[in-house]
Amino acid sequence: MSVDMTVRIGGLQLRGPVMAASGTFGYGTEVPLLERRALGAMVSKGIFLKPRHGTAPPRIAETPSGMLNAIGLQGPGAEALIRDYAPQWAGWEFPVLVNINGESVSDYGELAARLDGVPGVAGFEVNISCPNVEQGGMYFGNDPRAAAAVTEAVRRRTRLPVWVKLTPMVADIGVIARAVESAGADAVSAVNTFVGMSMDINAYHPRLSFGTGGLSGPAIRPLAVHLAHQAARAVDIPVIGVGGIMRAEDALEFLIAGCTAVQVGTATFVNPKAIADVHDGIAAYLATKGFASLAELPRYLPRD
Amino acid sequence: MFLTDARVEGRRQVARAMWVITLDAPEVAATVKAGQFVNLGLNPGPLLRRPFSVYRAIEDRIEVILQAVGAGTAQLLALREGDLVSCLGPLGRGFEIRSGGRSAVLISGGLGVAPMPVAARDARAAGLQVTWVHGARSAEDLCSESDGDAVIVATDDGSAGFAGTSVAAAPDADLVLACGPNRMLAAVAGRWPDAQVAVETYMGCGTGVCLGCAVPLKRGGYDLACTEGPVYRAGDVDWAALPSHLHYAATA
Ligand SMILES: Cc1cc2nc3c(=O)[nH]c(=O)nc-3n(C[C@H](O)[C@H](O)[C@H](O)COP(=O)(O)OP(=O)(O)OC[C@H]3O[C@@H](n4cnc5c(N)ncnc54)[C@H](O)[C@@H]3O)c2cc1C
Ligand SMILES: Cc1cc2nc3c(=O)[nH]c(=O)nc-3n(C[C@H](O)[C@H](O)[C@H](O)COP(=O)(O)O)c2cc1C
Ligand code: FES
Repeated sequence: MSVDMTVRIGGLQLRGPVMAASGTFGYGTEVPLLERRALGAMVSKGIFLKPRHGTAPPRIAETPSGMLNAIGLQGPGAEALIRDYAPQWAGWEFPVLVNINGESVSDYGELAARLDGVPGVAGFEVNISCPNVEQGGMYFGNDPRAAAAVTEAVRRRTRLPVWVKLTPMVADIGVIARAVESAGADAVSAVNTFVGMSMDINAYHPRLSFGTGGLSGPAIRPLAVHLAHQAARAVDIPVIGVGGIMRAEDALEFLIAGCTAVQVGTATFVNPKAIADVHDGIAAYLATKGFASLAELPRYLPRD
Repeated sequence: MFLTDARVEGRRQVARAMWVITLDAPEVAATVKAGQFVNLGLNPGPLLRRPFSVYRAIEDRIEVILQAVGAGTAQLLALREGDLVSCLGPLGRGFEIRSGGRSAVLISGGLGVAPMPVAARDARAAGLQVTWVHGARSAEDLCSESDGDAVIVATDDGSAGFAGTSVAAAPDADLVLACGPNRMLAAVAGRWPDAQVAVETYMGCGTGVCLGCAVPLKRGGYDLACTEGPVYRAGDVDWAALPSHLHYAATA
């Protein structure tokens, strides 16, 4: 018996609940040994309107069960993405969303407008973990008004699905989730990396040249499950769980916590077939438990 | 590129604290080019895979040369015959060894000898006269395997061969290949901008998706060591901006 793994997220019908997380899958053309059949969707590496060089090395540092990264959103910019990648995506059998970034509210809107209607671009994931240059470098994602303003700016410029990627570095993720829901988001992804730091005890300075970095991997999983769960309790739009998923069991924790789908990030670095393994593992689990579809999986989502 | 569970076939010591382990990895052995690497994963073990040059490819087997510098390398050296290690590769763009010219010199510092046996194989096949230049801190740290080619030895303390660095000891040649600590490669760039050098960086994925392995370039911007490198034209790298932080080849 084959299990129905399809999910619906804000206007998109996905053949499975497992997606590639932004920044861990390039533009989908790089991953070796890729098993496309298992991909529900892909979120591209984050881009800005203009090309960016990124930060100086060292950019990554391994930590217990995790890694810190400060890549600095190195990327080719919108025009190169439209020219080099979108045409390839247009032929793929799963949707590709572009992770969009900006230094001002209008940056986000402009980028969405530029990509709207480009064949191959199926929607947007708005990364609000960016410093708001106009407002003294405060992160958009830390402030419900700024988060809503960015969401609205994108919403106004496109009819494609708009997902908002939430940062975990907030006092109450439910407040931010509700703010972006009211501003027109079709879904939220929870969560981005946690800001962390690690010191080189021989060189007396941080191991990353940037100083701080984003922590990902199994180290953040219980934190991410909790935050995704809080977001799911706060909003009616779908929540996409992300953080430390290495195996199907980890993904199931997010799904039971109230998420509609999941993203796999760091695991792909370790195992290029991680997405397929997680997808197949969820299907096998559902079959073993006697569920005919993912929709039948019981969720732990008490209403307050 | 292949992903396999490779069986450990054996281990031998080649210098103080320096070992060669043999892995059964037929697809990698059949396809690897000089300067390419494999990304080895241990489970249980550290989260990320660890990159290692392919030292030799013999029939169905590959060899990897290493020293215990941290948890991952220590665990690799503790493996027994028959144990499995996850092997992803071959990865990266290796040395470009074309016929034309008459001589090749392979300059290494410490563990930088890692890509040289395969490079020597390909250079000989291209009709080049091969000379190896091994550098190390002292005589006990020298891995002096050289597969029958001419050898020059250099030690920092003068306990064997030339007293000084392998770069200083090396003769000129039509093709110059080098591997070792980044500061040694910077010296290579000063003497032979056209030399091909294999650089070291931290790596997250080894396959071009994490953007963690940035190599700063003279013309500005960054390249990815895992897919566009790890071999570069020495004169193209912005050496001042490339940290020499790895324990890999701790000496020149
Ligand atoms: C292309 C390439 C080829 C290499 N070939 C060889 C080789 O043939 N033989 C050999 O002994 N070593 C080689 N290295 C270096 C080797 O990968 C590191 O020594 C190893 O990853 C250390 O792991 P560890 O767990 O023992 O050390 P850790 O305890 O993790 O750290 C010790 C040091 O190793 C380095 N390191 C840690 N993680 C990584 C990583 N993901 N990528 C790169 N360096 C890291 C850092 O300098 C760190 O300070 C190569 C590196 C690269 C990039
Ligand atoms: C190297 C790296 C780069 C990332 N780049 C982005 C990015 O460009 N945009 C974004 O929204 N998230 C980015 N992320 C965050 C991931 O998409 C994901 O939210 C996070 O890593 C947690 O999931 P994981 O533990 O499965 O990796 C990046 C993560 C890593 C490790
Ligand atoms: S190691 Fe990940 S891009 Fe090179």
